[in-house]
Amino acid sequence: MDMKQHCVKLSLTIHALHQCEDGHSWEAFAHYNADATGTVNVSQDPSLGGTYSGVEPMGLLSNLRPVPGSKTGLRWRKMNVQTPMGVTISVYQGHQTEGFLDQVLLASVVVERWYMAPGVRRVPITEGGLTATLFLPSGPGPFPGLLDLWGWGGKLVEYRAALLASHGIASMALDYLTPQMTKETGRMVDIDYFETAYRVLEQHPQILGSRIAMLGLSFGVGVTLRMAVYSKGLKLSCAVCISGSHVQPIDGPLEQMLTYLNKNAYKMRSDENNQVIWRDLMLPIPTDPSLKVDMGRLQCPLLLVVGEDDQNWPSSESAMDMKEMMERAGNSHLLTVLSYKNAGHLIEPPFTPFTRASTTKTDTNPPTKVMTLWGGELVAHSRAQEDAWRKTLVFLRENLYGGMKHGASFSNL
Amino acid sequence: MIPCYTVQRNLACIQRIVGGVRWTSSCRPAPLLTASPVRALIDDKISIRGHFLPPRCPVTVCAQMQSDDGDLWEAFAHFNTNLDGTVNLTRDPSVGGSYLGCEPMGLLWGLQPAPGAEKKKVETPYVMLMSLLKGHVSPSERPSTELAAVTAERWYMAPGVRRIDIRQNGVVGTLFLPPGPGPFPAMLDLWGMGGGLVEYRSALFASRGYASFSLAYIGHKDLPGPQHRINVGDPYFKSAFQLLQDHPQVYRDRVGIIGLSFGVYLTLRLANHSDIKPSCLICINGPAGSNIKLADADGRTEQMENDQKYWTYDDQGTVSFRAVSLPANLSPESKVELDHLTCPLMYIVGEDDLSASSIENANLIEETLSAAVKSQLFTRLSYPGAGHLIEPPYTPNSRASLWSVKPQKLVTLWGGHLALHAAAQEDSWKKILEFMETNLRH
Repeated sequence: MDMKQHCVKLSLTIHALHQCEDGHSWEAFAHYNADATGTVNVSQDPSLGGTYSGVEPMGLLSNLRPVPGSKTGLRWRKMNVQTPMGVTISVYQGHQTEGFLDQVLLASVVVERWYMAPGVRRVPITEGGLTATLFLPSGPGPFPGLLDLWGWGGKLVEYRAALLASHGIASMALDYLTPQMTKETGRMVDIDYFETAYRVLEQHPQILGSRIAMLGLSFGVGVTLRMAVYSKGLKLSCAVCISGSHVQPIDGPLEQMLTYLNKNAYKMRSDENNQVIWRDLMLPIPTDPSLKVDMGRLQCPLLLVVGEDDQNWPSSESAMDMKEMMERAGNSHLLTVLSYKNAGHLIEPPFTPFTRASTTKTDTNPPTKVMTLWGGELVAHSRAQEDAWRKTLVFLRENLYGGMKHGASFSNL
Repeated sequence: MIPCYTVQRNLACIQRIVGGVRWTSSCRPAPLLTASPVRALIDDKISIRGHFLPPRCPVTVCAQMQSDDGDLWEAFAHFNTNLDGTVNLTRDPSVGGSYLGCEPMGLLWGLQPAPGAEKKKVETPYVMLMSLLKGHVSPSERPSTELAAVTAERWYMAPGVRRIDIRQNGVVGTLFLPPGPGPFPAMLDLWGMGGGLVEYRSALFASRGYASFSLAYIGHKDLPGPQHRINVGDPYFKSAFQLLQDHPQVYRDRVGIIGLSFGVYLTLRLANHSDIKPSCLICINGPAGSNIKLADADGRTEQMENDQKYWTYDDQGTVSFRAVSLPANLSPESKVELDHLTCPLMYIVGEDDLSASSIENANLIEETLSAAVKSQLFTRLSYPGAGHLIEPPYTPNSRASLWSVKPQKLVTLWGGHLALHAAAQEDSWKKILEFMETNLRH
């Protein structure tokens, strides 16, 4: 972004303002000095202060935070992927830090950020008792497929699946913690729920059944690894696991994962700000093989993404244990670990606001609100998101689109 | 040709082999076609690529767009994938189709439009469907040969730009304002005798930070009738300029005028008034005089028959208006005097303009300014092979199109050879924006 002005050596503040779907306002701002031609180029010039400093091309987006006076514990998420995230970027004279609405505005532009490319089709899925949304890329296909799992809190979170479909992968966002089925029966879904979801993808006329991946975050990692290793009903081309663990009771229904967590709930602790740290629930990593997925039996490539400051799940410790298991079993060539110093738990697609802690509801009766600490330091976490997303896309493309040397097709003739 | 077998999933895969090459199989997903960025302004470049294709194989990339009237436009280009199974329109040459050679934007400007198709609703994008087809085929074979597709949106209006209908003081037009408080430098935007309200160039100017006002002066229901005549005169154009200048979000000391075709005459005529002081003038392929009189002070106008004697026809009955604006054929008293010009003037010439005598009029203007010792105000851009309708880039050009249905059906010649005209649009637009920046922002 460039900004031209008449005056020389002008000190300026560039401000970003976004109103999210539930009405909260988020902002970021940075102080710059225009050069001799009256130009500021955010991609190249250093911020001298504000919400961030230094050269940060995407700083105005990655550093968005709730405006002063907002409720505490907010977490930014886009639930309606069919509309863009609108951000107003404005320029003010001088180095301002507050009261932007009362300042004299010099110029502004509006930018739109999308999760869904034009032509991507959004298809709600309810067959087989599923609560899911399938996103299909433009074109005839067949496309590789992907099952997208989020973590605690449930709901149908669509944005990552929409984004993946915008990159050519037919992706299904699956609600497995609060689906219709669970609302009606009060019971958590089991393995067959995921096998049904897999089958829906596999049998879709525009999806290539032999190229299906699974991506899980947080609690979703446990499910992904369980399915990848043990389920006879599905054969994954690859898996991506972000900020999670292989620790879970592997005998019995999936619901036992919840029982296991509840049993260890006493290990929960709070920091000096009363922010809740849940990571200890699964520590120490058990040695009992019935309490963790046997990673030595994994047969597909696995990308593990880990934030070293994850305060919610023991992702680093779990990754190390998984690596050891796979080295012992001789399948560690399947494993790639991306480990990010000072990144927290919520490693998501890049250029969206960072949340170090936010309000979550416990599943007690009645539910209470606590401030959960996710961890991570802003700059390191934002960089981690950028790097991890790029590498995730490369990993998925290689395993879902590539995998066959093109030269081979000629020699068969 | 080996037929294609559908496959049961628990059997080993069978390949579909066409022409000795394995194109698709049940073991592999379809190739991938990508466009970046998928949402952009009309004058932004787009990068189109195909991936995961067999190496050294013929493919066709085709683009399809639907105009506001529902007409379908198409362009296509033939490529050979390279060794790593990719095709990249920024790097690879087209060996056949709507254009030849390496032209990153060729699928856009090479679109063949239905006659008379232009974007009327600037608040919605053009939705472009791009497809990757196997072999060197024409788009009509898309259903049977499509491998992959991607959709892109091309916009005339950036987010935040405001479109405002103006019906004030008898002036009929549309104002486009950039987002933000302003005040903004501004442009008055004048088109040709095709009439109506042509908004897209103004929408783009606003998307680039300039307030811009598209003005109607003929062929619009809100103007005094009849619609086939100009029923407004000098006071009308002055009102329009002043209305723009007086707008609270316009910086009154930085207002320019741009005119295409007959709009050039209007631009020069307006600038000639002593109380109208534009900061710059941009003239594209238009005359410095006219046999058509504007309405006089009492709103009386003359008929427009005089010009028809200069119309020329080719053997298909296509009409060229070129000779109408030859300086020798223009009424002498109408030729605009430029001695009092105080602002820079840029004149853009399409050397293959078959609708106006642009070269001759550019010469006339240049001579007039030289005689007044004002050559330093004059800049000429001259483009070989470019036609009459030099417009924002990466949009299709018609060499001829339907001009009128009544009193007779007439197709008129604009001129312009595809690739050269596209290059002219790209270069001139860049220079127009630079010229505006120099004169309206400093």
